[in-house]
Amino acid sequence: MRAPRSLNVLTVLALAGAALGARPGAALEDPAAQARVTRFDNGLVVLTLEDRTTPIVSFQMWVDVGSSDESRYTGLAHLFEHMMFKGSTHIAPEQHAQLISARGGRVNAFTTRDFTVYFEDVTSESLPLVIDLEHERVANLDISERTLESEREVVLEERRMRTEDSPFGRVYEALFPLVWQAHPYRWPVIGWRSDIEKATVASCRTFFDAYYSPNNMLIALVGDFDSAVALAQLERTFGALPPAAEIPRNPTEEPAQDGERRAIVYFGANSPILAAAWHAPPTGHPDIEALDVLSVVLSDGRSSRLYRSLVYEAQQALSASGSYLEMVDAGAFLAFAGVRPDASIERVEELFFAEIERVRREPVSESELEKAKRQLEVELVNSLAANHAIAARIARDYATFGRIRPLDERLERIRAVTAEDVQRVARTYLIDAARSVVRLVPPPSAERGE
Amino acid sequence: MNGVRAIAAVVAACALAGCAALGGRGAGGARPAWELPPPAVIEAPVVQPGRLHRAQLENGLHVLSLEDRRLPRAVLGMTFRRGEASVAPDRAGLASYTAELMKRGAGPRDALAFAEYVDEIGATLSVFADWDSLSVVVMGLSRDLDRLFEILADVVLAPRFEPAEAERARGEKLAALERAVDQPETLADWFTYAAVYPGHRFGLPLEGRPESVVVLDAELARAFHARVARPNNAVLFASGDLSAEDLQAHARRLFAGWRAGELPDAGGPPPALAPEARKIVIVNRPDLAQARISIAHEGIARSAEDRIAASLMNSVLGGGGFSSRLFSRLRAEEGLTYGVYSGFSLRRQPGPFFVSTFTRVSEVRHALDLLLAELERMRAEPPSEAEIAWAKTLSVGSFSMNLETSDAVMDGLVDLDVHGLPEDSLDTYRARVRATTAAEIERAAREHLHPARAAIVLVGPAETLAPQVRDLGPVEIVEP
Repeated sequence: MRAPRSLNVLTVLALAGAALGARPGAALEDPAAQARVTRFDNGLVVLTLEDRTTPIVSFQMWVDVGSSDESRYTGLAHLFEHMMFKGSTHIAPEQHAQLISARGGRVNAFTTRDFTVYFEDVTSESLPLVIDLEHERVANLDISERTLESEREVVLEERRMRTEDSPFGRVYEALFPLVWQAHPYRWPVIGWRSDIEKATVASCRTFFDAYYSPNNMLIALVGDFDSAVALAQLERTFGALPPAAEIPRNPTEEPAQDGERRAIVYFGANSPILAAAWHAPPTGHPDIEALDVLSVVLSDGRSSRLYRSLVYEAQQALSASGSYLEMVDAGAFLAFAGVRPDASIERVEELFFAEIERVRREPVSESELEKAKRQLEVELVNSLAANHAIAARIARDYATFGRIRPLDERLERIRAVTAEDVQRVARTYLIDAARSVVRLVPPPSAERGE
Repeated sequence: MNGVRAIAAVVAACALAGCAALGGRGAGGARPAWELPPPAVIEAPVVQPGRLHRAQLENGLHVLSLEDRRLPRAVLGMTFRRGEASVAPDRAGLASYTAELMKRGAGPRDALAFAEYVDEIGATLSVFADWDSLSVVVMGLSRDLDRLFEILADVVLAPRFEPAEAERARGEKLAALERAVDQPETLADWFTYAAVYPGHRFGLPLEGRPESVVVLDAELARAFHARVARPNNAVLFASGDLSAEDLQAHARRLFAGWRAGELPDAGGPPPALAPEARKIVIVNRPDLAQARISIAHEGIARSAEDRIAASLMNSVLGGGGFSSRLFSRLRAEEGLTYGVYSGFSLRRQPGPFFVSTFTRVSEVRHALDLLLAELERMRAEPPSEAEIAWAKTLSVGSFSMNLETSDAVMDGLVDLDVHGLPEDSLDTYRARVRATTAAEIERAAREHLHPARAAIVLVGPAETLAPQVRDLGPVEIVEP
């Protein structure tokens, strides 16, 4: 091992009298407080936040359409997201991503139940290229039979990888239709296989026309760029897109759940999985911080209750967690346990629900409460380190609430949570008669590999 | 459609090669940016002047600090320059087992009390082993700096290695290994290592196998820790809201009395040719709809002289994401897969070169033929000027992207320290990329790609897979 060169002087700086902790220390400032909101005449919202610390800029285009907006073919929002990389009038299939990745940029997209998001993280000289390419595919997308056929196969491979051959993928796919029997959150974002197989070019075009209009989109820019220059380019390109008159939405609401629901998934896995879910309020609800505290008390770190009970003491599970899933129309409290191959899923379920019963029965201790708040606070601070995460936060906030929620607002709400609040949300939402439970276990007789 | 594709291809070639733009069109009359000569990638210094400080204690401990006051947080860590590669194959997993036990009680606190001590301040503690290193990393708010340092020092200097915890940890590791088999990609990795490096430590998974983990106990972990956790084998680092003076004062207070020791061997080299001849292994999983495919053979060391040339070559082949030949062929053109990737696993000793992908079971042969043909083509037909140009731009651009945060820069600096590479390697990286020649890239392809004798590992239903590949070489079918 070669000695690093500048270590020739093998001494440490003399620090006589330097007091530890007597340092300036940074205050927590919310970078998003400097974000500017611009709304073009066609309804497009642009969020800009300059930060010249590193020569990097994150561009995100949020389209207010997710799998829950689908009507005929499930999985269309996601399949369509793939088609956005398959060429337009002036850009060949895949060329958009190639032009960005060939410059070292990160380019990708993802679809959720509520949103479809396209993003590029690039060194700042590439921002004009990003804006022109994003405009090109929104303005001039070309969906052909040939490209749809090949991308359909890619999505089916993605589905096999994420869901059909994956134990956790199978559990998710069974759990959501139990929780939501009516609301469109019930079907998987990637869609049912038969729908992916049958989706047509015409359905993609209709979908595009319905949802990809400037008044249903938002662009966020965070990092090293000049707002005036970027806004001028966006105005010239995106500003010329025509708005849509009306954005179609599914009207279905979920009726109240009036009894426990259960499903069993047979899958040849060594390690069974237990999953449970309860209905919880949608994003923005005043109970969210208490639910987040509850998630942390149950799941975060090795002193959390589920780790201690199921993993450490009983040695029945390899992992155990309970966390609040935040979505626009409704939320869910999701719980998972990876059962040890040498353990019993019945025992894991018993222990798991005993911990849920305990948070309903008695308030969490003061020290657990304080610890959970600290953990959430540190998580918030960590989320401010990279442009991409900041862009995602402000875009999601604005797309959901029409404003960027200040960090302080979230911090104050976390700090205000009491042990009684945590008990109250546990009692309100984690009720036995409204839970859904999925067990993934090996098939009764068949052994894998026979 | 063909017309559009042809025009677009010319545009792409121009954009990549930097030639003059085509005729203008685009919104508002302005020429779209993809038609203009691409600007040079902006290159900022890796570290702002005055932020990075290096020192060394008399016991040999390297000390690295990177001040970044933007957020009230800090990441502290200690990395030792020995990892799983230094462990004998029959104890594979010992370094990661030791790392796990170091988390389970240290100093005056047992496992649960220690977890409480960490979680109380919202800190995150990770202790993990890689092939060539074992690291302890603590992250938290800078107002808790003293506590964060106490946690780090306790884990590094005074882990308890209690027998009861050792039992629990071993049970969990064995169960986790059994569960890992449920993931087809894990099976593919494991059997690929075994096919390439039988008998060598690299032939076993990083985390070991049940037969090597079952013998691990508190005493083995304690002994491993005692040999590896020495100041002359370590780098102490910190990034974030603290100064060099803060770090050095804590370093002297906590680690100056720590004694240097003799270091264990870092691990011997694997065979130069691995494998020597084509072999095909099918890991039988009759339940899978999608098969995993790996192609692998020996690769290069982290410190190899031609690693930049090899990396540029690999970007063009399969490491360059959407632009790579493998992605274009298998995903974009044929719709065979969602992902395909190639890469060198860079370790102190040469780790494997591998190509991995997945496709529906019926298309495995088709995918395999395309992969092998692209590997051969890379040897026969070196990257074009345009391909080299984008591979270099990608390399320089992604370098900046990957060093966005101070924590990431520190990771890069610690990696250089672990591998004994020049400490200005990050500063000179972009110039070295630009200086790499086409001839060097071509030579890297010829010297480091060997599809004819590569191991091929498939995970899926053997009954359907075996007939597809029998003519490619000797086939061995194994149960997971």
